[in-house]
Amino acid sequence: MRQEPINRLSEKGLRVWRIYGIIQTLIVFLVGIGVGVINYFTGQYIWLYIVDGVVILLMGYLLIYLFPKIRWTRWRYEVREQEIELQHGLFIVKRTLVPMVRVQHVDTEQGPILRKYDLSSITISTAATSHTIPALVTWEADELRGRISVLARVAEDDV
Amino acid sequence: MMSKEKFTLHPISAVINFVKVLKEMILPLVVVIAVNGFGGESGGWTSYIIYIIYAVLLVAMLVSGIINWKRFRYWFEEEELRIEYGLFVKKKRYIPFERIQSLNYTEGIFHRPFGLVKVKVETAGGGATKEADAELTAISKEAAEQIKKEMNLAKNKDSDLLDEKLQQDELVVEQRKPLFHMSQKDLFILASTSGGVGVFFSGLAVFVSQFSELIPYETIYNEIIMFIRFGALLIALSVFLVLLVAWLVSVGMTFINYYKFTIWIEDKEIIITRGLLEKKKITIPLSRIQAVRIVENPLRQLTGHATVIVDSAGGSLAEKDEKIKLIPLIKKEKINPILVQIFPNYEFEANFTRAPKRSRKFFYRLDFLWMIPVAACVSYFFFPFGLFSLLLFPLSFLWGAWQHKTAGYWKDERQLVVQYRLFSRVSIWMEKKRIQAMTEHTTYFQKKANVSSIMTTIKSGVAGSATTIQHVEKADAESLMEWFEPTRIALIDIEKEQPL
Repeated sequence: MRQEPINRLSEKGLRVWRIYGIIQTLIVFLVGIGVGVINYFTGQYIWLYIVDGVVILLMGYLLIYLFPKIRWTRWRYEVREQEIELQHGLFIVKRTLVPMVRVQHVDTEQGPILRKYDLSSITISTAATSHTIPALVTWEADELRGRISVLARVAEDDV
Repeated sequence: MMSKEKFTLHPISAVINFVKVLKEMILPLVVVIAVNGFGGESGGWTSYIIYIIYAVLLVAMLVSGIINWKRFRYWFEEEELRIEYGLFVKKKRYIPFERIQSLNYTEGIFHRPFGLVKVKVETAGGGATKEADAELTAISKEAAEQIKKEMNLAKNKDSDLLDEKLQQDELVVEQRKPLFHMSQKDLFILASTSGGVGVFFSGLAVFVSQFSELIPYETIYNEIIMFIRFGALLIALSVFLVLLVAWLVSVGMTFINYYKFTIWIEDKEIIITRGLLEKKKITIPLSRIQAVRIVENPLRQLTGHATVIVDSAGGSLAEKDEKIKLIPLIKKEKINPILVQIFPNYEFEANFTRAPKRSRKFFYRLDFLWMIPVAACVSYFFFPFGLFSLLLFPLSFLWGAWQHKTAGYWKDERQLVVQYRLFSRVSIWMEKKRIQAMTEHTTYFQKKANVSSIMTTIKSGVAGSATTIQHVEKADAESLMEWFEPTRIALIDIEKEQPL
C-alpha cells in the first residue's frame, strides 16, 4: 500500500462544513414543512408525516454529522518538492497526483463563512485540470501558495 | 526594417462575405415562403412586407460585404501581423508572429478559379477569447506564402534556431512525399460505413416485419393483425427510406469532405489536405499534439479498419476539446508504419494488461440499479409486452462483459496506453510528459474487491480530456501512480546509479 499523504485540513474546516450542513438541512427542513402542510390540507396520511419527519432527521444526521466527519477524516494533502498529492472523497476515495512541472498557477480564496473562521481554500491549476484544498488556516494557505509557486518555477521537465 | 505596405483582400471576399450571410438567412426565408405560400388567402400588401424587408436586408448585406472588404487591411510591422477592419467602428488587431501557432488554408469553390486561399490564423489561445484568431477571407496563394515567410523570418531571429531551421529545410525536401493518401476504395468504405448502423437496424425491421408472415397470427384476431402487420410494415418501410436518404446524403458529404485526403510532415508540422469542392489545408504543429487515439467502431472492427485521431492543445477556441482526424479510415495493420514515422517518440506496439476477472461485475452492476425499478414499472403497467424490458438485463450484462474484455492499459517508461470501449474500441497513447494529473478512484465495493480505477487528464483544445482505466488490480493501479510520481522516479534513478 502506498502511504497516505501526511497533512490534514484545519479542524476549524470541520466546523465550517457542519455549518454548511446546517444550511442544507434547513433547506431540506423547509421542503419537509411544505410537504407536511400539503399533506395536512389534502390527505392527512399519518404515514406521510412519519416518513417526512424521518427523512428530515436522517438528512440532518447525514449532512451535519456523518458526511462532514467522513470527508474531513478522509481529506489529506501533501506538497512535496516535485509533486502535490491529494486524497479526498465521500463515497469514492480519490487520490490525485499533480507533478510540480504541470502546475500553472495557484490561487487562494476566502468566502464569508471561511473568513469568519480565518480559513482559506487553495486552488492548484494545471493546463487542463484544477484541484482545490478546501479549508486551510489562512496563513498556512498563503505560505503554501508561495511554496507551490516557487517549487513550480524550479521544477524542470526532465522527460 | 520590414515592408509597411498595406495589403487588401481579393474583391471576391465581398461575394464570399455576402454568400456566408445568405446561407444563414436562407432557412428563415424558406420558412416564411412556405408559411405564406400555403397560408391560402393573401392579405393585400401586408403579405409582401416580409419580402420587402428581406430584399432590403439582402441589399444591406451585400453593401456591408463590400464595405467590409474595402475596409480590411493587413500588413507586417515589428514582427507582428497587423489587421485593420470594421464596418462602422475601425478595429485593429496586432498578432505577434511568435504567438501564431498555425496558419490553416482553405480553398472554397469561390477561391479556386482565381487561385486564392482563405487563411485562418490560429494563436496559442491561453484563456483568450475567440477574438484572438484572425481570418483573411481571400488572398492570393503568393500572398499567403508571404505571410508564412514573414512569420518564419520573425521566428528565426534567434540565431541558433536559424541553424536548426536550415537543417530542417534540407529535410523538408526529402519528406515532401505524402505519408498517407487515402485510396478511393477506402474513401468509399469510409463514406458508406459512416452512420450506417441506423440503416442496418431499420433494414432489419423491414426484414422482421416480413418474417412475421411465418408466425401463425391467422389463428388470432385476423382482422386486427392484418392491420397491425400492414401498419408495422409501412412504418418500417418509411423509416427505412428516410434513413436511406439520410445515409446517401452522409455518403455524399463524406465523399466531398474527405476527397483526396493526404497527410504530410513538414517542418515539424503535420499537414492535412482534403476536400473536393472546398480544399482544406490544416497544419498541426507536432509539439502541440497531446495524445494519439485509434478508434475502431464495431462495424469497422469487423472489416479490420480504424480511425486515427489526435488531441491537440490550444487551437481554434470554438471547440472545447480539439480532436482532429489524422487518418479517417485505414486498415489496421497499416497504422503503425505510418504513425512511427510521424511520432518517433511513441512506441506503438502495446501489450495490454487487462482488468481482472472479478472486476467484470463493476461494468454492469451499476446499470442494474436503475434498470430494476424501470423494468418493474414497465412490466407492471404494460403487462404482457412490458416484460420485454427484462431483455435489458442480459443485453446490458453482455455489453458490460464486452467492455470488461476491452478494458486494459500498458505502460513503458515514457508513455501510457489505455484501451477501453463504449461502443467503439478506443486505444489512446499518451506520453507521460503530456499527462497533467492522475487520480486513483476507489469505491467501497472496489476496495472490497481489491480493484481501483485510474483517471488521467491531458490537455485537449483549451480544456482537458480525461481517460479512465476502469477497475484494474489495486496493485496495478498503485504501480501506475508510482509510475507518474516524480519523487519516486527520482528515487529509482538514484538506486540505479549507486552500484556504479
